[in-house]
Amino acid sequence: MSLLRPRVAFLAAFAVALSLVAAKAALATFVSANCNYNAATWSPNMYRDGSVTVALVARYEGYHWGGGCWNDNDVDQGPNEPLQTYSTGGEGGDCSGLTFKVWRESLNTSDGGHYQWGRLRNVHGPYAAADFKAGAGVPNATYPKADAIVMDAFASNTHIGMVYQRLTSGADQIVEAKCEACGTNIFTRTYRSDSSYGGVRRMGWTG
Amino acid sequence: MRAIRVDPGRLRLVGWGLGGLAAGAAAGICAVFVASAVAAGRSAATDEDAARIVDAGHLPPLLRLPGERVTLRFNVFCPAPGDDPFDGTPCDAGGDVFVRARRSGPFRQLPLRETDDVAHGRYVVDVPADLAASPEGFSYYAVLRNQATGASITVPSGGAAAPQLSLPLEHAVEVELGTHAFGSTRRADARVASAIWGTAPGEVGLLYGPSFGPIGPSAFDVAPNGEVTILDQANGRTERWRAGRVAAAVPVDVTGGIADMAVEADGSIDVLEPTGSGSAATPELRSFDPAGQLLSKTAIEDRTWSQLRRGADGLEVQQEPSEQWMPVRRGQAWLARAAQARAGHPGRTLASGRELVVFRTGVSEARVAEVAAGHVVRSWRITSAPPLGEIQLAEPFGNRVVLVVRPYTETQDEFLVLVLGDRGLERSFSVDSADWAETAPLARFRLAGSSLYQLGSTPSGMHVDRFDLEVNR
Repeated sequence: MSLLRPRVAFLAAFAVALSLVAAKAALATFVSANCNYNAATWSPNMYRDGSVTVALVARYEGYHWGGGCWNDNDVDQGPNEPLQTYSTGGEGGDCSGLTFKVWRESLNTSDGGHYQWGRLRNVHGPYAAADFKAGAGVPNATYPKADAIVMDAFASNTHIGMVYQRLTSGADQIVEAKCEACGTNIFTRTYRSDSSYGGVRRMGWTG
Repeated sequence: MRAIRVDPGRLRLVGWGLGGLAAGAAAGICAVFVASAVAAGRSAATDEDAARIVDAGHLPPLLRLPGERVTLRFNVFCPAPGDDPFDGTPCDAGGDVFVRARRSGPFRQLPLRETDDVAHGRYVVDVPADLAASPEGFSYYAVLRNQATGASITVPSGGAAAPQLSLPLEHAVEVELGTHAFGSTRRADARVASAIWGTAPGEVGLLYGPSFGPIGPSAFDVAPNGEVTILDQANGRTERWRAGRVAAAVPVDVTGGIADMAVEADGSIDVLEPTGSGSAATPELRSFDPAGQLLSKTAIEDRTWSQLRRGADGLEVQQEPSEQWMPVRRGQAWLARAAQARAGHPGRTLASGRELVVFRTGVSEARVAEVAAGHVVRSWRITSAPPLGEIQLAEPFGNRVVLVVRPYTETQDEFLVLVLGDRGLERSFSVDSADWAETAPLARFRLAGSSLYQLGSTPSGMHVDRFDLEVNR
């Protein structure tokens, strides 16, 4: 009996501690468990078709409002999040967060950018869709919609998507982080002719 | 002064307890660390996926005017060669185009050359004049490669079995629209459906927030008798409207994303979902019986779709990057992806067996051709002063064709309905864009009988308006 009680105490304490750690781990979000805050690297290169691949990695990785961190396993590890909730820490960018990374922009709006952000770097950037629409920030400018080409964008007050390819119907393929149910992907859209959208060009491409 | 006496038994008990806490915490931390390392290992393993990324952008010259030089342009999107695949440089790509005159015979292999013109396509090939001049057009497909990894993509995806077709327009009827008077829109002849935003029966769901949406019902369809079915994907249901009232609400198992929809003659409901669930998965066409029971799920061939329509012998989906219409069901048989690819063609199949090929080119020009057995039967070339956006609808209407195009400026847009006959423009009128909430891209109009129906929306709700085309206004 005298040996049993300490063992019971040990096992009980062991179980409690293990449960607490497990609970803490279970409460971790995708962002807290996977993402980092590493510095971006500057690159002299910023080709339109070279930057498209950043968006292609983000395909199928989901949508997270206010987010900007994803891996590349083609699974949304933060599905079915409540609309416009950041604290759930799910996987994926939102529309402006995706654009910020693909366009290799800077956290400093007066900096032209050329920054390569890792996909697991949790960063949204300083611009909301409406800021892009207004051409806010040194690298960004409003641009005629009819002349928009690959890696230009169409932005409204609530959304932004980047041009991927024009279509024979006159619509465009757009690469975008669209919504929780839609995820991040290439979709056919008609933003070009929609007057709630304006054209936006990221300046400073090297090709 | 009293000495504090500690029971050695209790002290030992506390010691064992503290030891248990420490050991449990250590074990838990180790377990979490191992799990994280495994997850990170999986993530690192998928880093190699960069090597397999290859995608293409291409605008096929479906309909060409006499004398137009034919250069086929492609963008190839794949990671950069070297240690850092995402350093911003383009990939080391290349490939070949296989082209031939007409729709049969041997292909000629032409290597793509690289240019600096990423705006129109960095990789190009000029179609030899003898092939481009063929009165029956030419057909082609391209095999595009990441030279560094060998990953490749074929466009259109059917390759030699279903090459893209480029047809000459020798005698297109010219239609000059000139300037567009924004604001002179026609009123609808009837409002056949109307609902406020919400979740209750008779209401329609809306996805909207300060930095999100608005996305309303993403598609609708109209039966020959004028019965309207609305895809209320946000609420996971369809609503059938008859005589201005909701006749039935049918729950359907949809993801809630922006989907297209077609309703068949027997009342079956086909919903084309926006996306697949992984890079190997393509968007899914879900078919439901009239009561909403799921009948089948069929993956489409390509990664992206533009529109879903009932064809003469089943359902067809316009797919990208192939930029072809592909049958997804023929009769009662659902087609596997490869079978869809092998049956791709440039135009929508009409009840007559002909195809209607649509080509929006340049900033403000649209070309339309009715094609039979690979030959242009009749065609129209429409030019406009303001830019033209998408062609929302192109449908035969008796011996005419109804076209809905969208003139726009930076701050204005409207839909313009054109009734095209053999001699040119027979009738036209403008329609308010009524596009406050987003729908599927080419799902705002349907033609049923002699009426055109429009799915519209305002901040207070959605509606379907009817415009009778035989009425002169």
